[in-house]
Amino acid sequence: MSGIEAVRKIVETEAQAKRIVEEAESRAQEILASASEQAQNVRQTSTAEAEQRKVQRLRETREKAEADARNSDVETDSLLENYKKLFENRKDAAAKKAVELILGG
Amino acid sequence: MDKLHNRILSDAKLKAAGIVEQAEEKSKQILGEARAQAQRDADDILSRASLEAESIRRSILSSRIRANRLRILDEKNEIVQSILRTVEKSLSDIASSNQFDSTLKRFVAEAVEAVGTDNVVVKIGFRNADKKSLQSLGQSLPKGTKLLAEETAIDGLGGVVASDPEGKMIFNNSFRARLERLDNQLLTTISFAIFGE
Repeated sequence: MSGIEAVRKIVETEAQAKRIVEEAESRAQEILASASEQAQNVRQTSTAEAEQRKVQRLRETREKAEADARNSDVETDSLLENYKKLFENRKDAAAKKAVELILGG
Repeated sequence: MDKLHNRILSDAKLKAAGIVEQAEEKSKQILGEARAQAQRDADDILSRASLEAESIRRSILSSRIRANRLRILDEKNEIVQSILRTVEKSLSDIASSNQFDSTLKRFVAEAVEAVGTDNVVVKIGFRNADKKSLQSLGQSLPKGTKLLAEETAIDGLGGVVASDPEGKMIFNNSFRARLERLDNQLLTTISFAIFGE
């Protein structure tokens, strides 16, 4: 092999080596880009699921509170009904005691 | 020459493998950090959701409970006011009852004693009062007491007002005045009689 031939051969080999490294760098960039995309997807999915659970939790809380509030209404209605009965049954006695207080007090 | 060629290519492949391996490690790190951050974000969203849920629950319940308490207070107040109207009616009709003579004597005696001077002037005014009751009362009063029968019920419901001759010291013993003086006790009596509390 002549000297020129040998130099040409080395130059070709160096070029081949350079391509190998460049391909690896390109592959590495693809890997990192893919990782970034996956990372973004992971966060978006997780956030979307959490937001969905939040909406569900708030809806359940609101429904439960409304149900408790309705129970409070029912209890109050019952109490008011009871007051009306007490009033009808005891109004004369209550008025009598009040009159006695004013007359005798 | 071939050795050199192989050496150059071998070094390049080794370097390339290192570059890819490093990228894969970095990729794992990025995904790991993303997962951890995603978990923190989700925890944060759910933590704030818990606070918001509690706030919503309190808001709904407290406004309804407050409204129901007001309904209860309104009803109780209406009942007490109704009893008070009955009481006022009974008091204004006292002259027609058999309690009138004794009540009148007691009211006058209290008023005279409260003024605590000689020559007390006593005004008496009840709806539909019998003159005979007033005349018989005069005999039981201390000497010097001046009795004045009003044509109308004092303070609207009837009663007695005593004063010294100059009108400087006055004791109002009308039903209205007694209702006001006994206000708290009256409400307690009615409330206990109706509601037991």
